[in-house]
Amino acid sequence: MSEKAFLHLKDIVKKFGNFTALDGVDLGIHKGEFFTIVGPSGSGKSTLIRLLVGMDDVTTGEIHLNGKRIDQTPANLRPTCMVFQSLALFPHMSVGQNIEFPLKLRKESPAARRTRALELLDLLRLPQEYYDKRISQCSGGEKQRVALARALAFNPEILFFDEPLSALDYRLRKTLEKELKDLHARTGKTFVYITHSLEEAMVMSDRIAIMKDGCIEQVAVADEIYGKPVSRFVAEFMGEVNLFPISADAKGTLLSDFLLVKNCLEVNVVPPNAQGLLMVRPEYVRFVNDGESYDFNLSGQIHGEYALGSRIQYEIETTAGIITVEKLREDRLNASNGDAVTVGFNSNCTHFICDAI
Amino acid sequence: MPTSLSTRVVLYFYGVVIIFLLYLPLVSVGFASISKARYLSFPIKRYSTKWYGEAVQSSTVSELLTTSLWVAILVTIVSIVIGFFGALAFARYQWRYRTLFQKLILLPIFFPQTVLGLALLMWFNSVGVIPSWKTAVVAHLVWIAPIATLIVSIRAYSFDPALEEAARDMGAGTWTILREVTLPLLMPGLISAGLFAFLLSWGNFPLSLFTTGADSTLPEWLYAKMVSGYSPLVPTLGVMSVVGSFLLILLALTFSWLIRVNRESRTTQKQKIL
Repeated sequence: MSEKAFLHLKDIVKKFGNFTALDGVDLGIHKGEFFTIVGPSGSGKSTLIRLLVGMDDVTTGEIHLNGKRIDQTPANLRPTCMVFQSLALFPHMSVGQNIEFPLKLRKESPAARRTRALELLDLLRLPQEYYDKRISQCSGGEKQRVALARALAFNPEILFFDEPLSALDYRLRKTLEKELKDLHARTGKTFVYITHSLEEAMVMSDRIAIMKDGCIEQVAVADEIYGKPVSRFVAEFMGEVNLFPISADAKGTLLSDFLLVKNCLEVNVVPPNAQGLLMVRPEYVRFVNDGESYDFNLSGQIHGEYALGSRIQYEIETTAGIITVEKLREDRLNASNGDAVTVGFNSNCTHFICDAI
Repeated sequence: MPTSLSTRVVLYFYGVVIIFLLYLPLVSVGFASISKARYLSFPIKRYSTKWYGEAVQSSTVSELLTTSLWVAILVTIVSIVIGFFGALAFARYQWRYRTLFQKLILLPIFFPQTVLGLALLMWFNSVGVIPSWKTAVVAHLVWIAPIATLIVSIRAYSFDPALEEAARDMGAGTWTILREVTLPLLMPGLISAGLFAFLLSWGNFPLSLFTTGADSTLPEWLYAKMVSGYSPLVPTLGVMSVVGSFLLILLALTFSWLIRVNRESRTTQKQKIL
């Protein structure tokens, strides 16, 4: 853990009665970073963010922000702000009053508040007429922007997001993901975002943390999480994946019943005496034509074909179970279910997950 | 699905009959109040408004109205306060004995009021409190405060707890949250709870009968006069009481309408400036 982390979590434990929601979380988030915490529901990510903004107390552990310990500071005195899942816009106030709310609490003059609110409307690309609109008159996307403007008006040192896009339809979500990333770049603030959607995390984040059962499984940049997961859980959480149980003897020779390996000693993917899972993402698996050669080969039959928009997914039934293969739509295979095929992949496209059965 | 003609006819007929049956007794009281005769008899031969004049001048009537008004006003204020905090406990916060609280607080509503009145009277006696209109306030509250709590709770249930958390997150303390977020959002519930509390107290007979002691409220007096020594002031006061309640509801509706209009006009004015 780097000591110069802007937000530093030390061994955070949170218990509700006998239930341990967070079991020793260590995390360092850098200044100006777009950091995303991803996990399935019940993984403890919402609990974690509530501790960070001060809506719940840690059971044990410390939170440091910019060198100062903040875990005992009540929520209203912390320099943090959160955009809620429900957005929590005040329905009895206009858009302008909502944005000005944190400024009003700081006793700023009405004129200064108004100026700042109009600036923020500009920043969020909302027309100035929205200042006097009622919240109920705004669409879903506009409400998102108002909630963001309000959080920015507070001018927090860190901005937290609790799945604010989850209730929106797909197209709007995609647009707002990009806008949020753009806003992050323009404001230079530290954003900490939680979501259960891997796609959201991949599009926006500088770094991603994967949570499972109250623990952090892995923290890394998106490419690394996707390509080099540390566990079966992370590998499967980050999208479609093929995993093969594999091990190597003391000389590094691969021991596998079903993978046809071209040359066991040349294919140096598993350390000597190690056992675990060999991972290959579906887009790296190829259909083998005559005369082509891959490090790993498997033969089987086409079991299913699914259109995923720009890509086509195939399920191939082999002796090693069902293998998932993805191809671009333009490379669609001219074959039907039950046809015999051979698939293969090279060792440089694989990743070995040690001991992860 | 469009309603068929026969269904519509039946519905209209049903509606008219129900409304007729509901309001006919009131109308007959209205007629009785403007009869010139000293004793109640139909059909009314000569009409007069002289009983209204007497009612306005009568010291008994003004005493009755003062007592009833005081009881109703105090019950309203206390019910709103209890209802507000009770509703937060009822609907907004999760705590260990919440379901038990929810059941117990509703129990007095289903208690027969006469039994409740008797029980309270016995209790006041045993603790040595002499019954007066002040004890009636307490008696009314036992029955009305739960109703007020229930009305505010309906509003509190539709309240996103994240709103208070968001306000706190942006730096608001407990009192600021109450003033800026919780109170304004529960206000419609508080207004209707207050209205209910006032009207239920104003018209309450069984609880008052047992607990007012030497004092008398309007419904009690109406009953007493019907039982012994009918006075033409009975229908007159009855009508005045109904009209008063009606005006109060009208006032509340106008008030909420004005708030809405004011809000909207402010919005459009500002838009014009921009």
